[in-house]
Amino acid sequence: MTAPIRRRRDGRYVLHIDPKARLVLADLARQLPPALEAQDPMVRRLFPPAYAADDQAGAERSYRALVDDALVNRHRRALEVLVATADADTLSAEEFADWLDAVGALRLVLGTRLDVVEDMDPPAPDDPRGAEYGLYEFLGELQHLMVEVLAAELPEEGRPEGAW
Amino acid sequence: MRDPTEAGAAGRESDGGSGRRITVPAGTATGPAVPGPADTVPAETVPAGGVAVDEDVSTERPWLVIVWNDPINLMSFVTYVFQKLFGYSKEKATKLMLDVHHKGRAVVSSGTRERAELDVYRLHEHGLWATMEPST
Repeated sequence: MTAPIRRRRDGRYVLHIDPKARLVLADLARQLPPALEAQDPMVRRLFPPAYAADDQAGAERSYRALVDDALVNRHRRALEVLVATADADTLSAEEFADWLDAVGALRLVLGTRLDVVEDMDPPAPDDPRGAEYGLYEFLGELQHLMVEVLAAELPEEGRPEGAW
Repeated sequence: MRDPTEAGAAGRESDGGSGRRITVPAGTATGPAVPGPADTVPAETVPAGGVAVDEDVSTERPWLVIVWNDPINLMSFVTYVFQKLFGYSKEKATKLMLDVHHKGRAVVSSGTRERAELDVYRLHEHGLWATMEPST
């Protein structure tokens, strides 16, 4: 039994993903950058506040001015890599990391759109959000499988204090 | 947070014995996921060497970096991010993740304001809901 996602001995990642699922992924990944660049309300979850207290509004404005472009660029670049490699059988470590970023960003946006809450039941079969919820679940499963592979590469005992 | 091993995750279908293959659920639409035109192009800027602002030299109180529970991020992903970003052991990262999940928030690191802001930024890069506040 081959795992759906695994790291090969040469360091490349093998992904057994259905061709239709790859098309869906690329399709989703193409749609997000315009919304990112327009700062559409749907993408707000990708820009959480750093300073939440009322008396830190100035610090929050400075933080946003410093990081928002970098966050947009990071996610946009990752999404572009996902689109460019959507039908690749294997991915480099860098491409795999970009996939994880892109899948995570798509998931956060879809989850925001669906108003996902903790322990939510899937929408009823006749609910118009059903298809989108299916995509959200698909992204969750993909992210989970990718994380399992990446987590297995980390030392279980962690790194020495202060090292990163 | 979500545990994707619970019911409801997207289908895996058998692939004739050669392995599992990740699929999208039947009937899944591929319509627009996100609206919005693309008319602004942000500058290619990445904060170098830290993102601290307004260095608070008048106080030595450490700042706390807090991660908040959210209904979207997966438990496995949050644990992985804590391990990767902070070098925590799997045990410590899992405990912090469970604190976030059950108590609604957890302090995941602390330090100078600049260090805390950098940690918050790294958590934001990974889509975690992190804030910082001075310790009391």
